[in-house]
Amino acid sequence: MAYSIRDQTAIVGIGQSEFGRFLPDSQLKLGAKALKAALDDAGLTRADVDGVAIHLGWPLGVDYDRLAEAYGLSLRWVSQTWLHGRFVTSALQQAAMAVACGLASVVACVTAISFTRERQILGGPGDAEGTREDGGTHGESPPYGLTAPAGGAALAMQRYMALYGATSAELAAVPIAFRKHALKSPHAVMKTPLTLAEHQASRMVVDPLRLYDCCLITDGAAVVLVTSAERARDLKQAPVYIAGMQGLRSGRDEFIFAPRGLGINQQPARREQPPERDLAVYRMAGIERKDVAGLYTYDAFSPVVLFVLERFGFCGPGEAASWVQNGRIELGGELPMNTSGGLLSEAHVGGWNSILEIVRQLRGAAGERQIPKARHLQWGTAWGDSVIFRSAR
Amino acid sequence: MSERTKPRPRITPDSQPFWDALRERKLVLPHCAACGKPHLPPGPVCPFCFSDRLEWRPASGRGTISTWTVVHKAWFPAFAADIPYNVVQVELEEGPRLTAKLVGLPNDRLKVGLPVTIDFEEERDGITLPRFRPVP
Repeated sequence: MAYSIRDQTAIVGIGQSEFGRFLPDSQLKLGAKALKAALDDAGLTRADVDGVAIHLGWPLGVDYDRLAEAYGLSLRWVSQTWLHGRFVTSALQQAAMAVACGLASVVACVTAISFTRERQILGGPGDAEGTREDGGTHGESPPYGLTAPAGGAALAMQRYMALYGATSAELAAVPIAFRKHALKSPHAVMKTPLTLAEHQASRMVVDPLRLYDCCLITDGAAVVLVTSAERARDLKQAPVYIAGMQGLRSGRDEFIFAPRGLGINQQPARREQPPERDLAVYRMAGIERKDVAGLYTYDAFSPVVLFVLERFGFCGPGEAASWVQNGRIELGGELPMNTSGGLLSEAHVGGWNSILEIVRQLRGAAGERQIPKARHLQWGTAWGDSVIFRSAR
Repeated sequence: MSERTKPRPRITPDSQPFWDALRERKLVLPHCAACGKPHLPPGPVCPFCFSDRLEWRPASGRGTISTWTVVHKAWFPAFAADIPYNVVQVELEEGPRLTAKLVGLPNDRLKVGLPVTIDFEEERDGITLPRFRPVP
């Protein structure tokens, strides 16, 4: 590799607002709370921030120019992704690349959303995506009433179950594990345990997804501050290095909520082990998959948690539903995942709640959720992008 | 909410012949005149060889269900009265997959691999939606 971003940038500050439902604050107010907290965490001031990467912009969240105006920032680099959670990795990666390329010194990655106020934008008549030219991006088919992202995850899981004999009761291990983690997070919206019986008795939303297979709809903001590794070493917190990354996979063999080869939409129906190209994140970080002490993912729906395990080869094609049983993805298990509860049980802050958790873990500040001796943690999604974080410790 | 508020398919210049044929109760697919492969959804070029030489050919209308779901939640008020309703993806004999719905079978008998054949909804507002039925 001629050039690598390995360990050139780091996360030096994290902040958040409260997470909840029907919070009275505006999205911008939630974002301001998170930015203040992140600056305080890093020992930086507002004037140090010269770049912003907005995740979940229009039509759901805040836009960069209004944010800069409202917070009195003076920016020389901005990036913004629209509506979709899938761009969480892109926003973080763009921040790191902007810093590494000298386009900005400190980039604030900002997600500030009030999903509960903007509810109709997701899958309802206010959702313009499904009816725009060439349609939605989760397999939506509005004329047939398939209008929400959950529909795409359901189509994928239904075929997965038919191919491999996986069951809803096996899938339940995912939300049950994340609920256990949420009970240890002071920020979590969900406060009571989830049992298999409750999961199985919960209402069917879009077959085979039951209520607890679908993520929360919440409000909140999260901010992550990215700067150069050199500057990071002089700041208040131990840096959390961005050790390796790889981008979002797209093409005719991809569907956003399915592993490659599952046969959803126009994907070829042919499963195989992950190709070397899809394991680039480990190479860039200079580690092996087995060195990852915990995996964090965008758990919009519980099936995508299975799919990310197969995509990165933690288990083979079709094996994930049985692989996640018996506490394997829980704290204390072989591969803890989403240790603060994820979107399924902590809050839906576009996945950034899990990025904050990664930083806390690698600082050794995760309290009763701490993964012992965690040195490398991986963020990876079912659509194939990833960032590996390295502890300074 | 009336039927009329259900979303219409967004027809593009690339997909216009597909929808025109459906109004005549025919299923057609864009085929590449260069490499011969059909594709869906209808696109501007052949996604396999990037050729501009596309031509529309009749499809057999036969295929199998490659996946399915049943919707139990009213995201769209216009569909509330239909709940629970199915949505299927059908892998056509020619290869591409088409999203539609299945009629003529109770939802609890939906199954991946089920052989199906094309059927058509009644034309409404100039649109005829394709749907499928189990092969008798």
